[in-house]
Amino acid sequence: MKETKILITGLGAVSAAGTGLAETLATFENRKRNADTVSLFATALTNPVFQVQGIPSEYHLDGRRTLSLALMAVDQALDDAGLSDLSTFRVGVCMGTTVASQLNDLEFYRSYRERGTAPMTSVDRFLKGNLAEYIARRINARGPALTVVNACSSGTDALGIGLSWLKGDLCDIVIAGGADELNHVPYCGFASLGIMNPALCAPFDRNRKGLNLGEGAGVLVIEKEAVARQRGKAEDLFLAGYGSMGDAYHLTAPSPDGVGLKASLRAALDEAGIAPEDVSFVNAHGTGTLDNDLVEGKVLAETFGPHLNMLSTKGFTGHTLGAAGGLEAVFTAAGLREGWIPASAGFENRDEAIPLAPVREKTTVTGRYAISTSLAFGGNNAAIVIGREVGR
Amino acid sequence: MNVLGIGTIFSRGLGIAAWEEALRTGWQKPADTGYLVNLDTVADRTLLKKIRRADKLSKMAVLAAADALADSGIGEGVRKSLGIILATAFGAHVITFSFLDDVLDYGEANVSPTTFSNSVHNAAASYVSSALDIQGPTLTVTQFRFSFQAALQLAKCWLEQGRCDYLLVGAVDQYGDVLGYVSDQKLTTAQDGVIRPFTFTPTCQVPGEGAVFFLMGNEPAGNGYCVVEAVHVNGDPDQDKRVDVNIIDADGMLPDESVYRASLAPGIPVAAYAPLYGSMMTGSAFNLAAAALMLKHQTHYATPVQDNPHGLLLVRETRPADIRSVRCISCNCHGEKAVMYMGKL
Repeated sequence: MKETKILITGLGAVSAAGTGLAETLATFENRKRNADTVSLFATALTNPVFQVQGIPSEYHLDGRRTLSLALMAVDQALDDAGLSDLSTFRVGVCMGTTVASQLNDLEFYRSYRERGTAPMTSVDRFLKGNLAEYIARRINARGPALTVVNACSSGTDALGIGLSWLKGDLCDIVIAGGADELNHVPYCGFASLGIMNPALCAPFDRNRKGLNLGEGAGVLVIEKEAVARQRGKAEDLFLAGYGSMGDAYHLTAPSPDGVGLKASLRAALDEAGIAPEDVSFVNAHGTGTLDNDLVEGKVLAETFGPHLNMLSTKGFTGHTLGAAGGLEAVFTAAGLREGWIPASAGFENRDEAIPLAPVREKTTVTGRYAISTSLAFGGNNAAIVIGREVGR
Repeated sequence: MNVLGIGTIFSRGLGIAAWEEALRTGWQKPADTGYLVNLDTVADRTLLKKIRRADKLSKMAVLAAADALADSGIGEGVRKSLGIILATAFGAHVITFSFLDDVLDYGEANVSPTTFSNSVHNAAASYVSSALDIQGPTLTVTQFRFSFQAALQLAKCWLEQGRCDYLLVGAVDQYGDVLGYVSDQKLTTAQDGVIRPFTFTPTCQVPGEGAVFFLMGNEPAGNGYCVVEAVHVNGDPDQDKRVDVNIIDADGMLPDESVYRASLAPGIPVAAYAPLYGSMMTGSAFNLAAAALMLKHQTHYATPVQDNPHGLLLVRETRPADIRSVRCISCNCHGEKAVMYMGKL
C-alpha cells in the first residue's frame, strides 16, 4: 500500500524577528537582531531577551500572551493554507508549550501565601487556556487535540504527533507547532542554571556564553496529500519524517555522546526513506550553551559530515522554548521553499572542539530535504525531516 | 495494542496487587485531606534512593512505571525500543509553587536550580527514562480531563506505525495545598470523604493523587491483561457497541455529572471506582487498570459506593463473570466524551 504523503500547506511565524514570515525573512536577510531588556515584567536581572513587539489588538488576551502569539501564527498558517472553513474536514490540533501548561502566576501565589485567599482570575485563565484545546475551540476543529509539554522539544514533537495522527487516519488536517511567551518564572529559572548569556547569544561560537530567552509561535498546517490536492493546493513541501529518542542521562544536560540525538536523526531519516547525504541543510537547536552546541555539533558532523550546511536561528529569535520546534520547522520549510538560509547570527569564532561550523553568510540551498532538531531538558531529542518535491 | 503490564501507586499502596486488593475490599475512609500517597510506606527504597532529588510527582511516576515494567516480565533487552508517554493534568504544580516560594523569599537571583529543573513539566517522564534506562521517545502531554485518553490514543498510533516496540503509557497527578484551595473554590468537597459517582447532581469530590502506568505492546507477550481495541477523544463513534461493563469516571469534579447518565445504555452493568483513588482528572488510568483486571481475571469488582438514586444497573458484587469487553467513559466540563474500549485477550 502506498504510504500517505503529508504535505505542508501553511506556515505561520511570530517572533522577535517578525510578526509574519515575510517580515521574518527580511530580518534574516538584514541580519537584524531584535534583542533588548525585558519589559513584560519587572526584574532586576539584565540578560537580554527577544521579545515580540506589536501584537495587534484583535489578538490581545489579557494575561494569556502565549495564546495571543499562538493565535496569530495559527491565523497566518490557515490563511497561507487557504483554509477559512474547517467544518468539512477532520482537523486535529497539536501544540507544544511550556509556560501555558503551568499555573505559575506569581501575584496569584503571593496573595494565596500572604492572605490564604487569591482571586480565581488567573486560575480561570489557566483552566480555560490549555493551548491545543483553546485553539481547537477557536477554529472549530473537531479532531484530536493535544498539548505537548516536552520542554524545548515540544514544538518538534507536536509536529511528529501530527504526522502520526495523519498516517493513522485520526484526521485529515493538523494544525501543529508551538507557542511560548516570555515569563518571569523561566527567566529566573534559566538564570539560576547559569546558562543565560549576559549579552547576545552566539550559537556554536567558541566564546559562547549561554542562551537568550525569546518568545513566539510557529505553526504549520499539515495535511494528507489527497485532501490538499482535492481542494486545489499545489504545495510542494512535505513532512517526511520524525524521530524522537531519549538520552536516559540527566535532567538538564544532554548526554555527552549524543546517543538520543543520533537515534532520533536516524529514525527521522528512516521514516523519510533518505540517507544523510540527501540532506541539504540542518536548522540546529543551537541554543548557544556550552553543552548543547558541543554535543549537537559533534553528532551533526558525525551523521552528515563536516561540510554540512548548518545554522541556528536562535540568534534571531532567542530560545523560545516550547515554540522553538514550531518556529524552526517553519524556518526550515521556508529555507527549502526560498532556496536560501540565513547566516547563523552570532557566530564568529570557530570552536575547534566542534567538528563543523554554522554558515556565516546567507547561503543558497538546492537540495530536496532539510532537518530541524530539538534537544530538551529531560534528555529528549527530536528531529523532523522536511522535503520539497522538485519539478512539480 | 495490548496491556502487558500494570503499575499503580495510590493512597492504599504500590503495585497492581494493591489496586486489586482495593477493588476487592471496597471503600475505606481516606485521611482528612483526601486519598493521598504516603511514600514512606514504600518498602523497597532502591529506586527512591536513585531519584532522591526528585519531587513527589516524579517519584510516584517512577515507582508506577517501574512496577508496570516488572509486572510485564518484559526483559532488559527492549529498553532502546521502549518509549514513554506520560499524561498529566496539572503536572509539577507543587514544585512550581516551591520555586515561586524561592523567588518570593530569596529574590530572583537566588533561586534553586534544582527546584527549577524539577518544575519543568516533563521532569517526571525524564526521571522515568533515566531511572529505568529507557532510550525510546519520552513524551509528556496534558489535556486536563482527557490527558490520559489522548496519550493512549497516540500510543496506539505509535505502536501501529512501529515507532517503538513497547510503550510505557501512564498518568500521574499530585495533590497540593494550592490545588486544594482552588478545588474548594470551584467544587464541593465531601465532608464525609465519600464520592458518590451515581448521584450525578449535586456532586462532591474528595482529592486524590497517584500514578498508573501500563506497559503496552502489539504482541500478546508478557503478563497480558487485555487488548485496547479503540480510544476515542471528543466523541464516541462506537457508542452503540454492546459491551459487558461500563466504567465511568464520575468523581465529583464536574458540578453536574448527568452527562454520564446520558451515556449509559440500559441493561449494561456500570461501575465507578473513583471512591477508591479519589477525584483526579487523570483518574481514567485507574479505571483502565480496573477494566484490565476484570478482563484478565474474568471478575466483576463491586462498585465501592452504591448510592443509586437513579436506579442504574450497578456492578454490585465482586464475583466471577464472563466479560468480553469493557468501556471506560470520561466526560469533561464541555459535555464532551473520551472513551476507551477494552477486550479480552
